[in-house]
Amino acid sequence: MRTVALIRFFLGKGGVGKTTTAAAYSINKALQGKQVLVVSLDPAHNLGDVFEEELGDDPVKIMDNLVAIEVDYDKMIRKHLKDLTEKIKDIYGYLKIFNLDRYVDVLKHSPGIEEQASLEKIIEIIRKYGVGDKAFDIIVFDTPPTGLTLRIMALPTISLIWIERLIKLRLAILERRKTISSITGEQFEVEITGKRLKVPISVKEDPIFKELTKLRDEYNWINQHLTDPHTTAAIMVINPETLPVLEAYRAVEFLKRINVPVTHLIVNKIFELKTIPDQLRPKLEEQEKALALAREKLPGLEVIMIPYLEKEPRGPDMLKKVAEYLSTIP
Amino acid sequence: MVFRKLSSIFDAVISLFKGRSIEYIEIELRELENVFALIVLGSFIGLPSPPSTISLRLLPYMGRELLVMSRVSERLDDMLGEMAGLFDIT
Repeated sequence: MRTVALIRFFLGKGGVGKTTTAAAYSINKALQGKQVLVVSLDPAHNLGDVFEEELGDDPVKIMDNLVAIEVDYDKMIRKHLKDLTEKIKDIYGYLKIFNLDRYVDVLKHSPGIEEQASLEKIIEIIRKYGVGDKAFDIIVFDTPPTGLTLRIMALPTISLIWIERLIKLRLAILERRKTISSITGEQFEVEITGKRLKVPISVKEDPIFKELTKLRDEYNWINQHLTDPHTTAAIMVINPETLPVLEAYRAVEFLKRINVPVTHLIVNKIFELKTIPDQLRPKLEEQEKALALAREKLPGLEVIMIPYLEKEPRGPDMLKKVAEYLSTIP
Repeated sequence: MVFRKLSSIFDAVISLFKGRSIEYIEIELRELENVFALIVLGSFIGLPSPPSTISLRLLPYMGRELLVMSRVSERLDDMLGEMAGLFDIT
């Protein structure tokens, strides 16, 4: 019985076909008998449109072995902030300093909150559906356009840098408190609103140190999942045009730096014409140039070419056509 | 008698040294706590801060650091004077 799901991220510039290829890949694996969950993290959802199904926060069955989720962004950010502020209210409640309920609406506009909430959601989904006896075989993430996705994926690494520094600083503080306490032989205390409270002097009793190590464990956990080449793969999707190739190149370089394995390059919507109209000749020359650039800039990735289809691939039957091209992705 | 006097002088010297050494460590501790609060909650005063989850998760436990930070900020006008006093510069 599998205990850890394979995780697949479909990344690329807006409009290249991330959702279509992610959906088609999911169908391919479901047809092979794998239990697949496909999750849309893109705030501008169209996974439901591709499957021609109404999707939401709870898994909806698309076909045998395949369920899909469209993450509700507003709900996700609200939940993320609620979890955080509830804790603050619990402890600061008696102080009556903060009336955080009133600020929750403002907090949702604070910079970086989308990435934070998205990462929390990815963690929640992997915890819920990706590990344990009831884990899916594969979890497929259809991601937002490249910029936001890269910031989400870098967040654990960045957070860990902050946490390590804060832990060092915290240890220096606790060490000095302990030294002073042992010289004076007295307890460390602080007066807050007339109440004298004991101040922690060791790592065992310091809630800040405990919270920092807890955060470190959580981010290490997700970082290990995101960087494990045995379970995780990022799949770049591009069109045969210069800009998506260059963006993919920069994204791959960035992902390498944060150790996220990138395995495949899907070149979607390639013109394959038997007779070439004069009007399309320059376009096809550009396509050849872009393909050559992709081979030069993105060596080492397994390349999958998908032609421009006669009809827009929507609905499970049409997606099966695209799925055939994706059978080499494990 | 002489021995007792010597002993009390000795104790006084020790407590003086203890007091001085604690004074330095206390100031260092205060500054470390102040820096910790500034780093974690720097966004309150426009400093770059860690990802907001880290700040918000630590905030509930930072009563002492917040007090230190506000006390230090009250004395910011005369920080030079305070440092001079610490090192006996007149």
